[in-house]
This record gives sequence, structure tokens and C-alpha cells, in this order.
Amino acid sequence: MLYIENLYIKVKDLEIRVESLLISKGTYAILLGPSGVGKTMLLNAIAGFVKPLSGRIVIDNEDVTDKPPEKRGIGIVPQNFALFPHMTVFDNIAFCLKLRKLPKDEIRRRVLEIAKFLEIEHLLNRRPSTLSAGEAQRVALARAIVSEPRLLLLDEPLSNIDPERKYKAIELLRRVVKNRGLTVLHVTHDISEAFALGDYVIYMRDGRIVFQGSVEMFAVSDLARPYIDLIEGALSRYRVIRGVESI
Amino acid sequence: MVIVMSSRKLQVERSLILFYGVASFVILFILVPIISLFLFFNYNVLIKIFHTPILISELKSAFITTFEAAVLSTCILVVIGVPVAYVLARREFKAKPIIEAIIDMPFVVPHPVAGIMLLTAFGSRGLIPVGIEDTFWGVVSVMLFVSAPLFIDTVKLGFMSIDVSIEHVARSLGASFYRTFFTILLPLCSRSIVAGIILALARSLSEVGALLVLAYFPKTVNILILEWLDTLGLPYAIAVSCLYLIIIFIMFIALRVITRSYVVY
Repeated sequence: MLYIENLYIKVKDLEIRVESLLISKGTYAILLGPSGVGKTMLLNAIAGFVKPLSGRIVIDNEDVTDKPPEKRGIGIVPQNFALFPHMTVFDNIAFCLKLRKLPKDEIRRRVLEIAKFLEIEHLLNRRPSTLSAGEAQRVALARAIVSEPRLLLLDEPLSNIDPERKYKAIELLRRVVKNRGLTVLHVTHDISEAFALGDYVIYMRDGRIVFQGSVEMFAVSDLARPYIDLIEGALSRYRVIRGVESI
Repeated sequence: MVIVMSSRKLQVERSLILFYGVASFVILFILVPIISLFLFFNYNVLIKIFHTPILISELKSAFITTFEAAVLSTCILVVIGVPVAYVLARREFKAKPIIEAIIDMPFVVPHPVAGIMLLTAFGSRGLIPVGIEDTFWGVVSVMLFVSAPLFIDTVKLGFMSIDVSIEHVARSLGASFYRTFFTILLPLCSRSIVAGIILALARSLSEVGALLVLAYFPKTVNILILEWLDTLGLPYAIAVSCLYLIIIFIMFIALRVITRSYVVY
């Protein structure tokens, strides 16, 4: 669960104000909005990389506002996946497990388990520079999930994926998140991703949240009207992934 | 197809002729003085130096002072320069342009002026009267002063080239700032750190202007070359110069080979 209250962030000319935001446990929330409205900045504040001037950030009933990033229990998958280039895929995934000083056998077991789930077992000895965007996305996801985060932050994780492979990547994301019961905040400016993946939509404009509600409510809101063709396209394309017949 | 490709390649090659010409001039301009130095080298003079106890003792002591001071100043620079480079690469603050300008000052200050500055700062009658003139620490200070901007700027560029999201991900996975710094950032910056070390060492080994003012003694090789040029003549200065060049060349090759295994990315 993520709860934000009276948050105020100011970095250079960019100001963000969030009066109240609640994402319940196990919800896949999509943070939508045009480029430059402060979506990534808000994500950075939640992750602990930007200090808010006021307000509270609560994750699973724990106030983490003043906690350093490593103590927040958050997993991050950035736009460029940010794999550690000097480590193998195995070491990338095992990074957080090694930090926790788990026994070697346990680390191996958990890495293999997540690698099997994400179908990346054959990549474990490879270096990130040799991976395709789709493979890198799966490795980044594995690395974030293996740490068992309380909240998973995804910053435009599909923007580097080829349009032809996007369907598969979305399907994978949906499967992983639902299977693990993760709480997700997914930043994107692509409205079709919201309808393919989201349970809950948060819409930002000029540093403020102007809408938050279910994806169904968003679909009938004024904000969605300019994108109606895109939404209909996304709904028909991703109907199977969402496992619903109608929204 | 092959004809089209080769003619296109020829066209590209032809348009690069001017560049090749300029490159050849630059290479010759550097190479000719090196070759001529070795052409004027007299082996017998070197033998004479080796057989004259006072000269060999002076030469040995100059080499030891030079390399000890250069290595020590570079080690100090690595310890204090890497954190400074990180802060300048990653943090934004109002005084940053001023601090960057201060760090780059030794680039633009004429070398004798740098010597005078250090003398007025740390000489026996200086602002902070440590008394470093004509001491080994005077030599180290000069080398540190002149090589600091080269090292810091090189490492700063290295840190800047590392995507900040890599650092963020490591922190979110549970690594503290220092853990992230030592296990992620330093290995990824190792190529720039090695390049910075080589540049700093090279700059330290070539310094003479500031040393003439602040620390003539203990003599470094460069001071000795100047002194012998003045007192014993050109053949002696050439002999020491050739020896110095060969040792520096071997040292830098060895450094590149040794550090290759530490450059992880």
C-alpha cells in the first residue's frame, strides 16, 4: 500500500503538489500525464532520491518520508533498465540477496527460481550489453522482484521495447505482477499501456494530480476523450491479457 | 555493387586527404624531437656518469625523489580526488562553478607562479607556515598542485558518464551510499580513474617550473637535467633525458598492462 499526504516537492522550476494519493495493496496503478509534468520526479520522491519540502509518504503503514532509499523496500525498473554493466545477469539478480548475506545455495535457488519464471535461465551468464531490450526488461524485472519489494516502481519500462514485442512484454508484466501480488506504480505517457495493465489511473498535469480512480472511471472521463481511438484500440488488443471481456 | 562501394570508399578516402596530411604533420612534429634526442645520445657519456660516483649518486637520488614524490602525490590525489570528482559530477549547488574554476586554476597559472603561490602559502614565512620549501614534501605539494585538475576533471567525466538510474537502482535494492559507491560506481569509473592516474603521474613527472621556485632540493630528475645542462653540458643532459624517457615509457606501458585487469568496465 502506498499513501501520500500533502506532499510538496520543488526542484529548480518544477513544483509538485500531491494532496492525497492512495494505492491499495496489490493494485496496479498507472501514473499518466504528458512529458515534463513531474511524473518521474514524483517517483524519485517516493523512492527517496528527492527530498520533499513537506508532506508524508507511507508504504505498508510505515512512514518512510525520512528514510534513505535502501530502507524503503522499493523495487525500481527504470526506462533504460539500468542493469549493472560490469556484472553478469546472475550477479545483477543476486545483487540484493548478496547484500542481505544470504547463504550461497539460497541465493542460487532464488535466482534460478525467478529466472525460470521469467524465462531468462539461458541468459544468466551473459553480460547486459549482449541482451536485447526485451531480455534486459525481463532481467531488470527479475532483479527488482527478487528483492520482494513492498512497492514496485516502473518508469516507462516499455518505451524501449519494439512495438512488435510490446504485446509480449505487457503480457509478461501483467503475469508477473498478478502472480506475485505486487503493488505497482507504473509511470507512462502512453495511454494504451494504462488500459492494458492498470487497475487504477492517476493523471498528472502541471505538477498536480487531476484525476485518480479506476481505469473504468478514467475511460469515461473528459481526460480520456481525446484518446478514445487509442483506448478502444488498446482495449481490443489487450483484452486477452487483462482477462476481461468488457470494461 | 562492388565497384560502386569501392568508388564510394575512394571518394571518402580522397576527402580525408587533408586530415591525413594534418595528422602526419602532427605525428612528425612530436616524433622528430624524440628521434633527434636519441640520435644525439652518446652512450659513452652515460657510461662515464655510471663510473663517476658523485654523478651516479646524484642521478640515483634524483630518480628516487622524482618517482617517490610522483607516486605519493598521485596516491594522495586518488584518495582526495575521487570524492571531489563524484560530488562535482553528481551534485548541483550554487558555488559549483566557482569550485570548478578553483580546481582548474593550476591549469592556467604559469608554473613559476604556482611555485610562488605554494611558497607564500606553505613556506616557512607563509600564510600557513609549514616550511615545505626545499623539502621532499615541497616536491610532493608541487606535483599534487599541478596534477590535481587533470585527475579530478578526468574522473569527473567518468562519473558523469554513469547513468544516475544505475545508482538509484542499487540504492533501492538495499545498498547504502558507500556500498553503491564502492561496488557499482568505482568499478564503472575504473577506466577513467586509471586514465586520471596516468595523466596525473605524467604531469607530476614533467613538472619543473614550480619546483625551481619552491623545492630545488631534493633535486628531481628535471632539475638535475637543467643543472647538468648548465654545468656539465648538453651531452650529459641528453644522456639523462634519454634514460628518463625510457624509464617513463616502460613505467607507463607497465601501468597500462597492470591496471588492465582492474578495469572492469
